[in-house]
Amino acid sequence: MNAPLTRAELGMPDETMPQAPANSFADSAAAQMERLLADFGRMYRERNQALLEVAQAHHEALLRLSRAAEYRDDDTGVHIVRIGYLAWAMALKLGESRSFATLLRQAAPMHDVGKIGIADSVLKKPGRLTDDERKAMNRHPEIGAEILGRSRIPLFQLAAEVALTHHERWDGTGYPRKLAGDAIPISGRITAVVDFFDAVSMDRCYRPAFSAEMVRSMLIEQRGGAFDPRVLDCFIDNYDEMVALRDRVNGDGMDLSDLALQAPDAAFMPAALS
Amino acid sequence: MKTVLIVEDHADIRRLIRMTLEFEECEIHEEATVDDGLVTVRRLVPDLVLLDVMMPGERNGLDLCRAIKSDPALAHVRVVLLSARGASADREAGQAAGADAYLVKPFSPMELLELVGGMAETP
Repeated sequence: MNAPLTRAELGMPDETMPQAPANSFADSAAAQMERLLADFGRMYRERNQALLEVAQAHHEALLRLSRAAEYRDDDTGVHIVRIGYLAWAMALKLGESRSFATLLRQAAPMHDVGKIGIADSVLKKPGRLTDDERKAMNRHPEIGAEILGRSRIPLFQLAAEVALTHHERWDGTGYPRKLAGDAIPISGRITAVVDFFDAVSMDRCYRPAFSAEMVRSMLIEQRGGAFDPRVLDCFIDNYDEMVALRDRVNGDGMDLSDLALQAPDAAFMPAALS
Repeated sequence: MKTVLIVEDHADIRRLIRMTLEFEECEIHEEATVDDGLVTVRRLVPDLVLLDVMMPGERNGLDLCRAIKSDPALAHVRVVLLSARGASADREAGQAAGADAYLVKPFSPMELLELVGGMAETP
């Protein structure tokens, strides 16, 4: 800890510019204030570190729960990691702030955590769902928002928003709330596009993956239907880069720990922004 | 990193503010007069100016605040006034001068940090 500083050490030229008494503290008082402030700073840092650790532990637990939900539905669990990176890249391309994009990268992978509450008989049913089964399936956004939304931490509030709104459609025919247009938060509009892109680009037990060209036209077909035209156009304008980013997440064996609360690898920055 | 300029005639207060801001990542500059403050604001175009209201000389902190806010080149510079006077008329004067926030002395280190931490960094 610093020794008490004299006036001269504080850079106050007493000889050349005499200070009015009202314009300076006594040396001992100044030293004591600095000491108090230094202790405050230590506690402030320790508090911030503790908050960060709590948030990281919470994030990790919920990412694992999301992966558990994903494993029931898909093979590898990498889908949710790709969603994080794709949503992040799209947020940056759309001109959202870096801090929002980073938060979305961490939040979007949890969008389907509510599937943990859906019965296997519905979730894994190979054929068409009955109306009742569809109704049960369509509850997963609300279940997810319920699981995620119990926190004051901005990351989990955003995650709850994504979970709740990623099946809303631009034309107002989505679920659960039939929101339309800008009433759907941008987080949900972005996640809807990248989730669809990634889901139809991968093999399922009941069908092989669609080709990149096929996926592109399936996306365009939903411009203004399922998808926000601005988000969709931006995605299509950067289509090759998004495909490359998806493949890079697969190729590098990225996993959940890479999504943790830290700055992303510069190698994953969309080219135009790095 | 955020750039912060402290304009405050009281050297001890400047030092306490600097020590507080150093708990966050900031690049900190100091000036002791309104005139030097204006020169440095124009040179650095900082993210934030922490500005003492009562300073010796013809122009006070409110004048400097108005000068910053009326200059289009400095439009995004945030100004936080620091003043020993906390009456509503004083706060209104600060608001009228275009200040983004008004802190009453003795300043709260926590409040100052939260203000700086919650402020968006200009790219």
